[in-house]
Amino acid sequence: MTYVGKPVKRLYDDKFVTGKSTYVDDIQISALYAGFVRSPYAHAIIKSISLEDALKVPGIVAIYTYKDLEPLIKQGIGIWLTYEDPKLWKFIPRKPLADKKVRYAGEPVAMVIGTDKYAVKDAIDKVTVDYEKLPAVIKMEEALEDKVIVHEELKTNVAFDQSYSAGNVDEAFKNADKIISVEITNKRLIPNPMEPRGIISRYEGGSLTIWYSTQVPHTARFEFSKIFGVPTSKIRVTMPDVGGAFGSKVNILPEDVSVVAASIKLGRAVRWTATRSEEMISSEARHNTFKGEVAVKNDGTVLGIRGELLVDLGAYLTYTAPLQPAIIPLMIPGPYKIRNLHIRSRAVYTNTPPITMYRGASRPEATFIIERIMSNVADELGLDDVTVRERNLIRANEMPYTNPFGLKYDFGDYLALLHEGLEKLRYKQLKEWARAEREKGRKIGVGMAFYLEICGFGPWEFGEVRVSETGDVLVITGGTPHGQGSETAIAQVVADELQIDINRVKVVWGDTETVASSMGTYGSRTAAAAASAAKVAASEVLKKMKSIAAKMLKADVEEIEYKEGVFRVKGSEKSVSWDEIANYAYSSNEPGIYAQVTLPGDVTFPYGVHVAIVEVDDYGIARVLDYKAYDDIGVVINPPLAEGQIHGGATQAVGQALYEEAMINDDGQLVVTYADYFIPTPVEAPKFESYFAEKPHVSAYPTGAKGVGEAALIVGPAVIVRALEDAVGKRFNHTPVKPEEILG
Amino acid sequence: MYPPQFGYYRPTSLADALDFLAGGNVKPLAGGQSLIPMLKFRLLQPKFLLDLNPLKELSHISISEDKVIIGATTRHEELVKSGIVRRDLPLLHQSAMKVGDMQVRNMGTIGGSLANADPSADYPAVVLAYEANLRLVSSKGERVVNVKDFFKGPFTTELREDELLYEIEFPKLEGYKYKYSKVVRRAGDFALVGMAVLAKVDGEIKDIRVSYTGVSDKPFRPFELEKTIIGSKPSLELINKFAEQVITLVKPPSDSRGSSEYRRKVMKILTINTLKEVLGVVS
Amino acid sequence: MLLVRPGEKVKIRVKVNNVWYEREVEPRMLLVHFLRDELGLTGTKIGCDTSTCGACTVIMNGKSVKSCTVLAVQADGAEILTIEGLSQDGKLHPIQEAFKENYALQCGYCTPGMIMQTYYLLKDNPSPSEEEIRDGLHGNICRCTGYQNIIKAVKDASQRLRK
Repeated sequence: MTYVGKPVKRLYDDKFVTGKSTYVDDIQISALYAGFVRSPYAHAIIKSISLEDALKVPGIVAIYTYKDLEPLIKQGIGIWLTYEDPKLWKFIPRKPLADKKVRYAGEPVAMVIGTDKYAVKDAIDKVTVDYEKLPAVIKMEEALEDKVIVHEELKTNVAFDQSYSAGNVDEAFKNADKIISVEITNKRLIPNPMEPRGIISRYEGGSLTIWYSTQVPHTARFEFSKIFGVPTSKIRVTMPDVGGAFGSKVNILPEDVSVVAASIKLGRAVRWTATRSEEMISSEARHNTFKGEVAVKNDGTVLGIRGELLVDLGAYLTYTAPLQPAIIPLMIPGPYKIRNLHIRSRAVYTNTPPITMYRGASRPEATFIIERIMSNVADELGLDDVTVRERNLIRANEMPYTNPFGLKYDFGDYLALLHEGLEKLRYKQLKEWARAEREKGRKIGVGMAFYLEICGFGPWEFGEVRVSETGDVLVITGGTPHGQGSETAIAQVVADELQIDINRVKVVWGDTETVASSMGTYGSRTAAAAASAAKVAASEVLKKMKSIAAKMLKADVEEIEYKEGVFRVKGSEKSVSWDEIANYAYSSNEPGIYAQVTLPGDVTFPYGVHVAIVEVDDYGIARVLDYKAYDDIGVVINPPLAEGQIHGGATQAVGQALYEEAMINDDGQLVVTYADYFIPTPVEAPKFESYFAEKPHVSAYPTGAKGVGEAALIVGPAVIVRALEDAVGKRFNHTPVKPEEILG
Repeated sequence: MYPPQFGYYRPTSLADALDFLAGGNVKPLAGGQSLIPMLKFRLLQPKFLLDLNPLKELSHISISEDKVIIGATTRHEELVKSGIVRRDLPLLHQSAMKVGDMQVRNMGTIGGSLANADPSADYPAVVLAYEANLRLVSSKGERVVNVKDFFKGPFTTELREDELLYEIEFPKLEGYKYKYSKVVRRAGDFALVGMAVLAKVDGEIKDIRVSYTGVSDKPFRPFELEKTIIGSKPSLELINKFAEQVITLVKPPSDSRGSSEYRRKVMKILTINTLKEVLGVVS
Repeated sequence: MLLVRPGEKVKIRVKVNNVWYEREVEPRMLLVHFLRDELGLTGTKIGCDTSTCGACTVIMNGKSVKSCTVLAVQADGAEILTIEGLSQDGKLHPIQEAFKENYALQCGYCTPGMIMQTYYLLKDNPSPSEEEIRDGLHGNICRCTGYQNIIKAVKDASQRLRK
């Protein structure tokens, strides 16, 4: 019985379907509740804060402002140094509460701590803050002018300004048959996982125990250690069940730091769970514009791209924001043979809620840019989408291919997948069918887009496999699944490696006490990096068990062969079972049947083609009827779970393309609530068809998986916008496209 | 997320409730599907909530020869399930099915929705099309107000502080065609624009009531314009002209769901589509 | 009559999953907080503050309601069924089985509310079409699954329940 490649059911669903799941807000612990007083203004000086009335509310234990927490803070929240280079950035490490000034509407100014959630809210309402309003800069284009500066110490709003050049762009534009201008924008979004984030911190005897709705418990521990000057040996961070994250829970919030600080100051457990309204300002995303030109030949060959990328950071640089402006340009050439590029990438502060990464983290932005370019080129030259991709895709015999910015695409046959995929998804027939339907009066269209993405990030991941005295297997993974089901994939990989019943394998993660080391689950890396580390650890364990078998059977270890739980001396009847070895090992003084592996790894490059059918009604309201995907994600460890990632990512793409916008008004306030930030319901969600390449190109990781978690949101918006264009015959180079724009 | 502190009163009878209401600073609680969200955002800070749910007499669906009378705390779901409503008030029945979602319909009430008077809610336009009579009661007595005089502005009605909506009296309109159309940005949302039509056609239009939600600060009915098409034969030309004129009579709001101009365009197209359907006119 | 002045608490009796509970609560306490914090039944989740997401769905007196939009005091004397009450004697309810079988959950946060609304939907309409399922569940939001597997699970559950 092997498991990899099969539709194995998820291991731990029982607790979720019976209500026995434990997310951070479910943890029943004696703790005080924290709540935050927030600025209603986008930019203001804090003249004074009056706590008198608030402190009188029964049940209030303390109210803290920045000056109360400052002595505890050794340094502010920085950026994710694993992937981000601080030398390229102008930023001020984030303080736990506003100090002297507020820079966005919603910024926490004071923290109220009490014994009752309702009383905390009562007290929040009674805190009076005297603000002196300042002019605010809301639009990122205005921020470039540096008229209103968000962080005076930085003297500019431009936090990042790098140019990415390759080839000879001037030459390319000289040789062009046509030069096409583009302006491509993703408007601000909110990841909005179903579980609003939260944290519980308990400080006793110099040790911190933190329950945290996070994707990166070890990284968080490291950061808290730096921030508070508490040694990591005295900090334990545990990840309870996490109700989705989509990249937003790598972000470390000042509210989180404030809660930890409060627990240290009070010597009591303090907890905070964001309300949905707070979740919506704690982690906003995307918001970027690319303005540029494309040099093309009449046959559709793209000779070069030049332009400016502008990325909104919001009021503060967050832990994960630096990824976007730095990686988007690298992936703009995508899977295409475009060698001449010049892209200036700038990121600016505005007096708006801070921006963080969101599923895809720079690849959706880059893919939307390049795929919109390809489709614009097709339209301008009177060619079809497929021809333009064919003209420009890197060929299989050019692999491995080093892209103009140094990224090495390992293996792949993009052209073959384009053809296989479009045939499997019946693209041509669907295009024809939609055209015929349009003649009957329907506003219905079909669109496609191709993507190459970069994921499976290293630099390493941890895996530990331990066989117990009863022969059961514990996998301690550095991955941190939070809904993807990758813990099941890991169990499948280990069970296959050890040739044992998967029911004997338990997978644990997320606790810094239990897991010696970890990077985490983000960037579609768990099936690649984490499962591979576990696989290698499992193979090490098997080697050790073979050594023990050799000892037990008084043979040389080279003579031992293993099959499905039985260790045998080659060519003899002498054998010993898995359980016997486990038992024997633990009766000696050095059992040793475990292995820890820190597996180095580097990025993978999955690719695919997706197709969507979009229909528009009389009111300009667009509906995605069908969404189809054909992806090469390397080895597919668990097909239904991989498909689930396509379904979920594509539904977020539907949201991004047609429904969701974090609208900020001229006063810098978020003017949508969860009720009108239109996340798709079952009515708006399309029907899905998801296929994986017949002959995938496997990754260099031992599992051969490349990653699928983000793919559909990476390419989906471009697919849907293209289908929409086909339906109504208008051009749209932004998301979301709203009904009134469609109606005209 | 956390309502402010308030007191709570559970009355033993309607009279008891009305006496308490007369005390002032009291908000009635029926289904709570509009009230409780407002309390959670602390948009209201009443001193007391008066629970109407124990008053069984407020929840009824009864018929007489020419009327259907619906008690204020009748839930949306009860209207959907009611054979009487489906048969005798089909327009109301159709609109009840479009309110919110199933969970909201299990708790929310028609009286609560009407008293709340959200400019984008469904029932106000429907009740206006029916020209229903609303019975208002207080400790001082009762009065009947026609729906035409009930809605004053956004979230503002004729109800005085000490009054409760007791029941709504609908006429049974025999032989009327009907349609409630609702354009939404996303399932379960408030109407971007909603339209209620009741029409009696016999070769020519004998009577027509056209009512809108989402286009003004209260439900809108173009009474004068309606009169201009009574006696005419339904035609595409008539409908188009009506649509072109009706949109000039309102200045729809702009908000996160759409701009004023967009709502106006939607109103025009919705009018044409809905009238074509109800009046049986083909393109 | 019952008068509770602002600042006072009121005693309520609520039957949850077949057990009667008696507690003193402020009139403003939401039913979802009562279930989670007073009774420790944390299976019912809080996902939003605008009554949109349905994660808090429970069955009250036979009807599905969003417990974040009901006051605990409204539930005085009521019978409530939460996700914890669905499985009997350690055996999963057919809806719970169907969700597992059909990969109808990922992060699991929307799942209790989704299952309870499914429970009500199938009582109301034992054999719903796909369109009726999508429409019946539009008060429940999922950010992970894209719903297709949830629809399959509901169809599967409707068949299991009709056996």
